[in-house]
Amino acid sequence: MDNILSITVFLPLIAGFVLLFLPNKMRYFFKGFTLIISVFVFARSIQIFRFGSPDYAWPIFQIDNLKLDLLLTARPLGAFILMFAMGFGLLITLYSLKSRATNSGARATNIYYGAILLTIGGSAGVLLSNHLLLLLIFWEIVTVSLYLLITTGGKNSNFAATKSFAMIGASDAAFLLGIAMVWVHSGTFVISDISLETTSAVSIIAFLLLMTAAVTKAGAMPLHTWLPTAGEYAPVSVMALLPAAIDKLLGIFLLVIIVKEIFILKSAALSVVLAIIGAATIIIAAMVAIVQHNIKKLLAYSAISQVGYMVLGIATMTPVGIAGAVFHMLNNAIYKCCLFLGTGAVEQATGTAEMDKLGGLGKKMPLTFATFLIAALSVSGIPPFNGFVSKWMVYQGVIKMGTESAVAGARLWPIWLIAAIFGSALTLAYSVKIIHSVFLSRLPSELKEVKEVSLPMKVPMVILALLCVFFGVFYLIPLERFIYPALGMEADAEILSTWASGLATILILIGIGLGVLVWLIGKLSRMVRIVPTWTCGEIQTNEQMTVPGTHFYKTVSSMGGLKQLYTGQEKGHFDTYNQGGRVGLALTGFLRWLHSGLLPMYLTWVTLGLLIILFIICRIW
Amino acid sequence: MSVPLNVLFWIVVIPGTVVLGLLACWIVRKVSALVQWRVGPPLFQPFYDVVKLMGKEILVPQEAQKAVFMAAPLVGMAGVLLLSIMLWRVAFVPAKPFVGDIIVAIYLMVLPSLALILGSSASASPHAAVGTSREMKLVMGYELSLVLALIVVIIKTGGTLNLAEIAQHTTVFSISNMLAFLVALLCVQAKLGFVPFDIAEAETEVASGVLMEYSGALLAVWKLAHAIMLVALPLFLVIVFLGGFDVTFLTMVFRGTFEPTLIMPLVWSICKYVLVLVLLILIKNTNPRVRIDQAMKFFWVYCGVALVAAIILATIGKNFGVSWL
Repeated sequence: MDNILSITVFLPLIAGFVLLFLPNKMRYFFKGFTLIISVFVFARSIQIFRFGSPDYAWPIFQIDNLKLDLLLTARPLGAFILMFAMGFGLLITLYSLKSRATNSGARATNIYYGAILLTIGGSAGVLLSNHLLLLLIFWEIVTVSLYLLITTGGKNSNFAATKSFAMIGASDAAFLLGIAMVWVHSGTFVISDISLETTSAVSIIAFLLLMTAAVTKAGAMPLHTWLPTAGEYAPVSVMALLPAAIDKLLGIFLLVIIVKEIFILKSAALSVVLAIIGAATIIIAAMVAIVQHNIKKLLAYSAISQVGYMVLGIATMTPVGIAGAVFHMLNNAIYKCCLFLGTGAVEQATGTAEMDKLGGLGKKMPLTFATFLIAALSVSGIPPFNGFVSKWMVYQGVIKMGTESAVAGARLWPIWLIAAIFGSALTLAYSVKIIHSVFLSRLPSELKEVKEVSLPMKVPMVILALLCVFFGVFYLIPLERFIYPALGMEADAEILSTWASGLATILILIGIGLGVLVWLIGKLSRMVRIVPTWTCGEIQTNEQMTVPGTHFYKTVSSMGGLKQLYTGQEKGHFDTYNQGGRVGLALTGFLRWLHSGLLPMYLTWVTLGLLIILFIICRIW
Repeated sequence: MSVPLNVLFWIVVIPGTVVLGLLACWIVRKVSALVQWRVGPPLFQPFYDVVKLMGKEILVPQEAQKAVFMAAPLVGMAGVLLLSIMLWRVAFVPAKPFVGDIIVAIYLMVLPSLALILGSSASASPHAAVGTSREMKLVMGYELSLVLALIVVIIKTGGTLNLAEIAQHTTVFSISNMLAFLVALLCVQAKLGFVPFDIAEAETEVASGVLMEYSGALLAVWKLAHAIMLVALPLFLVIVFLGGFDVTFLTMVFRGTFEPTLIMPLVWSICKYVLVLVLLILIKNTNPRVRIDQAMKFFWVYCGVALVAAIILATIGKNFGVSWL
């Protein structure tokens, strides 16, 4: 354990495992311990990123040519994502110190902190591992800790946890199968040694299986439905840590590894498959998001929708598209985490996440509002925030693919582009819906006493919001420092079109300054006067004057053609988990019918079976 | 662009755009008046209006989120100012890319609508909230059509995103480009909040909805932002769909060379701008207001189908070298 890589992976894993079995009365110990470990691991990950690290190898066993070695390596992509993943772990730990979601469910404090440490260690393992089987083991550790974390959400959370575990677990089975096929084909599990051309049927199926695992973890369609269910029942800090941040980082990391290292894509059809997944995910999830009533559920759909941009960017197979996808992964983790943390703050202050019951909190919780607004504008891709830059890169990737590549699939680029840009408008629509119904609009009478949350909860939100602004205005810094080296591209690669974000920001500030000037001249002449809301002379109560944001997009959901889709979605007809469950129930129903418990019945079956075997063995025909 | 010219650009462009915007406001009101058989306002009326508003007191609703309520008009105006500077720069110095490409331009065009949405939502007025929802749905509606229209242009110019290159390379007189231009014109109509798409303001239903609680200097800033939009949005259409705004004559004059042959392109450019403006005004004055669901359906279904046809035509034209398609 003298290697920095192995410490980073195994220290949190062991610590987390121990915490799971400690009595949960030691709450303050858990908090302090988790904080110390996460700070330590974060520092180590920065060290790994800055100075690199020698590879770590520890042979475990070897049977014939099936070799299982503990191979850890810090490749540029892994090291950079590791640094951010550990950073998110630290921020969430900090946030959890005062967050009520974990304090009220005191029953499960040990599980909560233990699982957080397991997540940190598991994701470090995934990002550093150079052996496919080990990668799968760490990947499973993250899945299991997601299950444990969702169960800490109190009543009904077991259902959500089971659903998430079943869906991700199913995709992990695909992962295992894919790994086996890759092994058969290439004879090794070591990632850096594999490079398969997708020319044969086996390698194409292996690619599709590994891709399924990656996009399910990231939350793309069609195996996405665990995310909204988890969003409804899991503690918000868990949503901010896993589905919003680390699951995205890991899923997209794996997808990039698959596309760039393990496989060499020769068949254009595969990139079209990826593009279809990406475009459909963007549009459908965003269309569902705009009609949600619960902030957490809405954000969960938004988290799904944003994965589409990353998948689409990778599908373009152009340098700018892939760089945009990885940058979007990073940006999305930042602002989505901030949005979930803001939701957590609102939930803690008011006791609800239903948009109908909220409103006007911008006055009561100004800091939460400001950070939430910045994150919401970022997710909508408003310049000069960070979401704009990465989306803009993905658009360029799509256009470049369409106009420069001669493959038949590339001809469809207008569809991908329209999905991406229109998806962005839909994103703006649901962001506006949350902002209106939670922070602006009118304050309900029962929320008059609401107070801003405490400092440990504010700090992570402020850090994330500042990162949103910084990565947006100075986008070349993260691109040249993290993303180009991670993807092995030239640091001064001239792949981007024009976006002088710094100049634009200055000009916008000048514009605002001019506006302030006009405003000041006005203010100097006459003072500002505070008046009650103008209601055209009618006397109305506060409740009567509230227009809830939840019904903003009724026009869309009741539009002919879309209406049926929305009702079907509401009933869960498009949920692969429900449909899979229905098939499973039919299957078990059939088996149950076979096992009636009647001896004559069994005897009949046995005799029939014997007869069949006899026929086959003796070949009577 | 030489240094003194550069300085001159920065000194002239902002006040110049504001003045032009107020002039365009006057044209809108005057032509509307003529259509409605009235005399119309004097030339300086929009300017007087803004000055008068700046002298009035600012009323802020008690329930409002004051920071957002007051910052919204400023951000909205800053957004359109940036857009118009960008477009002027494309006209004056086409060789050098400035601030952003065509995608940046689309996103900057969303900024004033977004500011309007947030500002009206922050005012905590029920009328404004209805306006907020309508404005957002309108944005959702026309954004789809606008992007489809831009895809036509991108196909025709072979994948460039640079505004100046688009202005040079697009074939104005082709079926797909004309279709795209007409739909984009309607999108601009909606962006400006002109009839038949003045659904979010709808004086007769929701008492100017989104703008309801604004008064005094804040309203003056909104009026100025709207005036600048009247310059920037038609200019965008001229640059992207109608072959660009040619001001070589002016830059030559500043450099001290008088080239009479270059007057015609300048006059022609101004004609294109006025044409777009007059088209907008005529549509405004000859149509009744539609409902929001009708507007969304119009943009998503009818304009969508027209533009998909235009995209197919443009692709065929590009692949087989038929420039008029």
